[in-house]
Amino acid sequence: MTTTELIKNIGLKALSEFDDRKITGVFVSDMLSDVMAGAKSGDLWVTVQTHKSIVPAANLVDVSAVIITSGKEVPQDTVELANKHNIAILKSDLPTFELVGKLYGLGLVTK
Amino acid sequence: MKIEKIKEALDASILEGEDLLEASVDQVYASDLMSDVLAFGKPHSILLTGLATRQAVISAHMAEFNGVVLLRGKKPKDGAEKFARENSLVLLSTELDMYDACIRIDSIKRKRHSPAKTETVKPVREEILLSHEFSIEGNDFADAGMVSTEVKSLLKKIGLDPVLIRRVAISTYEGEMNVVMHARRGKVYLSVSPKIIEVVIDDEGKGIPDVELAMQKGFTTATEEMRAMGFGSGMGLPNIKKNSDELKVESEVGKGTRLEMRFFI
Repeated sequence: MTTTELIKNIGLKALSEFDDRKITGVFVSDMLSDVMAGAKSGDLWVTVQTHKSIVPAANLVDVSAVIITSGKEVPQDTVELANKHNIAILKSDLPTFELVGKLYGLGLVTK
Repeated sequence: MKIEKIKEALDASILEGEDLLEASVDQVYASDLMSDVLAFGKPHSILLTGLATRQAVISAHMAEFNGVVLLRGKKPKDGAEKFARENSLVLLSTELDMYDACIRIDSIKRKRHSPAKTETVKPVREEILLSHEFSIEGNDFADAGMVSTEVKSLLKKIGLDPVLIRRVAISTYEGEMNVVMHARRGKVYLSVSPKIIEVVIDDEGKGIPDVELAMQKGFTTATEEMRAMGFGSGMGLPNIKKNSDELKVESEVGKGTRLEMRFFI
């Protein structure tokens, strides 16, 4: 499944300009060091963190996309930085638990 | 480079050593000062010189050169050819002067080598391919992660293995975040040589009282505010250790911390 297919399948809102990628796994965490330690290249990163620093973290770990859950407002500077690095910042109104349920239902699993 | 190729490039005539032209030389030494040749010449070189004397050929022989090219069409008269023959040295003669001869040889060298991969790779010293310095401002969460992003970008331009780049990027990021969280300011020194990438992060800050404790997974001194942002899960130093090939941590309380990380290419 690619990022654009995911957006359609689940009903997410794309906030940034991004490179379409193949999603190869999922990593759920709000702690950046855990993401740095555990996320794999191509993973979808599910989080409620919205500050600008999530963009370098996402970039360095090479995630396929970031999904911000729980309807959190994403600040403009985060979106701008994401645009600059072509990182997909996607938004969902669902709480993390429910969103993850949907991802699992689509057949996405952690590697 | 084969001596044959040099002969062709210079339109040179062969005075001695017709059967030795297949030999290869590593270096071309252009000089009219024989004491320089003896001091700085390396074995398996060829000498370009305007000094058409037996002494020039003897000097080349003592420096273990493979041959001598006499410039400006000069022909030796004092037994240089005999010496060359007796000591298996190639002796060539070209009409070109020193400057033109050097340029001609250089242009055949350039044709053989593929162009540089990227304009950011500039040899500073023999072995260093890339050398950069960055600054980190402590407590600047707005720009946190920018240095490691830049490092990743630079390494990508050199065309290194993506898995290796990821390891360096993650380690640099964790080091960068530690400076932002716990120091007043810091510097990141990146240097890439053919076999090793080195990242040194040197900060002025509160330092680490117990490095061994700091290396434990889950140990953190991050504030509540930092944790609310998702930092300080206590995985920073362990992550660096995991991703690097060599890690050295030095710290002094009240002064600062220095991390030296090395990654083998």
